[in-house]
Amino acid sequence: MVRRPTRSLAALVAVAVLSTTMLSCGGGDDELVIYSGRAKNLVSPLLERFSEETGIAIAVKYADTAELALLIEQEGDQPEADVFLSQSPGALGYLAGVDRLAALPGTVLEDVDERFRSSEGLWVGTSGRVRTLVYNTDLVDDTDLPGSVFELTEPRYAGQLGVAPTNGSFQDFVTVMRASTGDDETLAWLEGLVANGSRTYANNTAILQAVSRGEVPFGLVNHYYNERQLAEDPSSPTENHFFEGDLGSIVLTTGVGVVAGTDRAEEAERFVRFLLSEEAQRFFSQETFEYPLANDVEPVADLVPLGTIDVPRVDLNELGGGLQRTQELIESSGLERS
Amino acid sequence: MRATGAEAAVAGAAPIAPTPRRRRRAGRPPAALVVVSLAVGALFAAPLAYLVYRNAVLGADLPRLLTSRATLDPLGRTLVLATSVTAAAAVLGTALAWLVTRADLPGSRVWRLLTPLPLVIPSFVGAAALVAGFAPGGLLDALVVRLGVERLPRVEGFLAAFVVLTLLSYPFVLLPVASRLASLPPSLEESARLLGRRPRNIFRTVVLPQATGSTWAGALLVFLYVLSDFGAVSIVRYDTLTRSIYAGRLFNQPQSIALSLILGVLAVAVVVAERIFSRRRRVITGAAARPALRVPLGSWKGPALALVGGTVGLGLVAPVAVLGFWAVRGLVNAEGAVSAVAADPGRLVEPALNTSVVGVVTAVVAVAVVLPVAMLTARHRQRLADLSNAMVVGGFALPGLVIALALAFWVRKVPGALVLYQSFPLLVTAYVVHFGAQGLRAADVALASVPRHLEEAAQVLGAGRWRRLATVELPLMRPGLLAGAGLVLLSTMKELPATLLLAPIGFETLATRIWQANAEGFLAETGLTSLVLLALSGGLTWALVIRRADRLS
Repeated sequence: MVRRPTRSLAALVAVAVLSTTMLSCGGGDDELVIYSGRAKNLVSPLLERFSEETGIAIAVKYADTAELALLIEQEGDQPEADVFLSQSPGALGYLAGVDRLAALPGTVLEDVDERFRSSEGLWVGTSGRVRTLVYNTDLVDDTDLPGSVFELTEPRYAGQLGVAPTNGSFQDFVTVMRASTGDDETLAWLEGLVANGSRTYANNTAILQAVSRGEVPFGLVNHYYNERQLAEDPSSPTENHFFEGDLGSIVLTTGVGVVAGTDRAEEAERFVRFLLSEEAQRFFSQETFEYPLANDVEPVADLVPLGTIDVPRVDLNELGGGLQRTQELIESSGLERS
Repeated sequence: MRATGAEAAVAGAAPIAPTPRRRRRAGRPPAALVVVSLAVGALFAAPLAYLVYRNAVLGADLPRLLTSRATLDPLGRTLVLATSVTAAAAVLGTALAWLVTRADLPGSRVWRLLTPLPLVIPSFVGAAALVAGFAPGGLLDALVVRLGVERLPRVEGFLAAFVVLTLLSYPFVLLPVASRLASLPPSLEESARLLGRRPRNIFRTVVLPQATGSTWAGALLVFLYVLSDFGAVSIVRYDTLTRSIYAGRLFNQPQSIALSLILGVLAVAVVVAERIFSRRRRVITGAAARPALRVPLGSWKGPALALVGGTVGLGLVAPVAVLGFWAVRGLVNAEGAVSAVAADPGRLVEPALNTSVVGVVTAVVAVAVVLPVAMLTARHRQRLADLSNAMVVGGFALPGLVIALALAFWVRKVPGALVLYQSFPLLVTAYVVHFGAQGLRAADVALASVPRHLEEAAQVLGAGRWRRLATVELPLMRPGLLAGAGLVLLSTMKELPATLLLAPIGFETLATRIWQANAEGFLAETGLTSLVLLALSGGLTWALVIRRADRLS
């Protein structure tokens, strides 16, 4: 009576191991290995389309953008990954900085405005997301909306704003601010947020829910989080406010780079080209509510046109200290502890 | 039914005997046991060795870090949180374990199943669900406004972190204590009762001391779990050391690595201190040959039900209600391709299967791997065994990301190991290294409570080492080992960072689906997938752990 369950457990484990080994014999040598920091829900239909159209078999690892960049760095000159699809330019800039990205051909790069790609030709933007101020329409009058992100340190917004300082998009935004206004003014703005009692949240999703609940009236997020919130909960009293011609509504790119040392460079480049094709750009516009960056595809109707948004050119490699310096500024402002 | 050697021996022997205080040395340990234990210790030392190496290469200024307020303040908060959650979880877990196994609590079998389940809720989901449920403007707010409450307090800071982590981690204490109490011989309590002791008195003087070892074992796990948690503290915005480690993981690696090392060294120090302290404790050995007694609660039945029901209500029902609300709301409003899973829940079948398989495989492997270390420590008490033990247990305090990166690193350094990269065996290894502590703590306690004289009797009767292990020790340790396996199972089923980085490409679990959905704001999918994870872990815990452990009685 004691022995039988042990034996059946052993059998169960044996079956389990066998079935899993069979299930997981995905990653072979004949596939293009894509590390994607972009969520499966968002991009997998597009990646499958690439595979169907080109006949190139793909294997995709989905995980956090920053952590995939760490993994690619650790894979060194024997990379498992062939292509890196990143949610932010920061992680691509980091990999470029540690020489883990291969140069892209000029013909691929020129499809995209030079503001949205690496100046060394190591990565290229695939879609744009705009920073916005999401607000609760029950708590905020249109007349109370700020004209510039710099107004958020004024007393009338005391205790009214939610930010996510550990979030990659927020950090990219602060990096752009450093490039346009300098470190001193950026630090002053961050310290102004702290002095103003701004509230910090874990990520964009948490900010959006807090604004929707009315816990905090304003939040700095990327534009598409509110689109998702409204899709699931049409009664959510949340709306995006775009800052016209202001740093507050800059475009942050998602991007793609080919991993240095890949033995599938040709397929990898075809993949990059595919992401910039009209078909893929239309997908980003219509399925993920993002800004297309190539082939003159238009964004969905309710987004402000890209032309009216201020997009300063920022080169992470030229910007002193890059993202590490940005993090140090955020850290020393005390925002993460407020 | 044929009685096993253990049952026959127990039936004829005095069932309980305190171990003498002096150190026991049962002769020289077999060489194979020493070698295996050291190899296991070395495997579990891999993450710390990685941190030491990386720290040396990156050259962070450790003395400056150790004296800066930016390190000391979060470190202090980490310790305060870990200590208070540990104390609360130890009390709550022990009380609930006793109520569900030894008291005449109405519906105790159902409670026995439900009380361990909060452990499987990923901490970021649990925290987010409690915030959505209890924060101002949340689901509960709409109800209490009608009762005259103006505004609920914000769910944030120390108190929120304390409540969330206590609710999610008390099962670390509950499972080992419950299995210990269920397998205790009833004779002592019977004697106490015959001598006219009152139930409350019996609980304090007879039952509680027998559970102490298991309570300590679980409490240490709670402490280490809180040290490593990032999900809950980040959602409720309590700034601990893991926040700094996480924030700098890509762009400030020297600091991130150095802080991880500090966390790892702290964990090992705590484990060693606990071991020294636990040596002084009297271990009561014994094994049950008959079902445990159920104590009549009398007028305490109401408060006892309120405690069990309240804990399950807050730790399980409340998150489930919020997750269910998200799922239903999203399904009702589903717009086209917003969320593929909400539209087609069939897509969860493969992740659910993967989750079950890695959970069960890891649980079995983890217990098997740590068993030699437990035997060496408990039976022979060698310094080297203690070191291996500390390495195994300390691994639980490191963030999962560190474990994943460490294994990805060593697989490339060790000749010939590269074939394992992103393979199923490496993934299971990562889980075992991360969660082996849970199996080891349970095995330590289970082994310490096996009466020595039974093994000695078997030896005198001519039984060989393997025969003694198979017929005396393992059957007696079974409830304890099952509890340890149950903890590893639940922890593995919700594991995230190592799964994301080390799993074979395309291998998805329910936890990775939940993370993806939540990160991108797909709440319906977060809710639906979390509910599937909860149901699945409930089923597996029942079928593989609780039912088997209870079969003894």
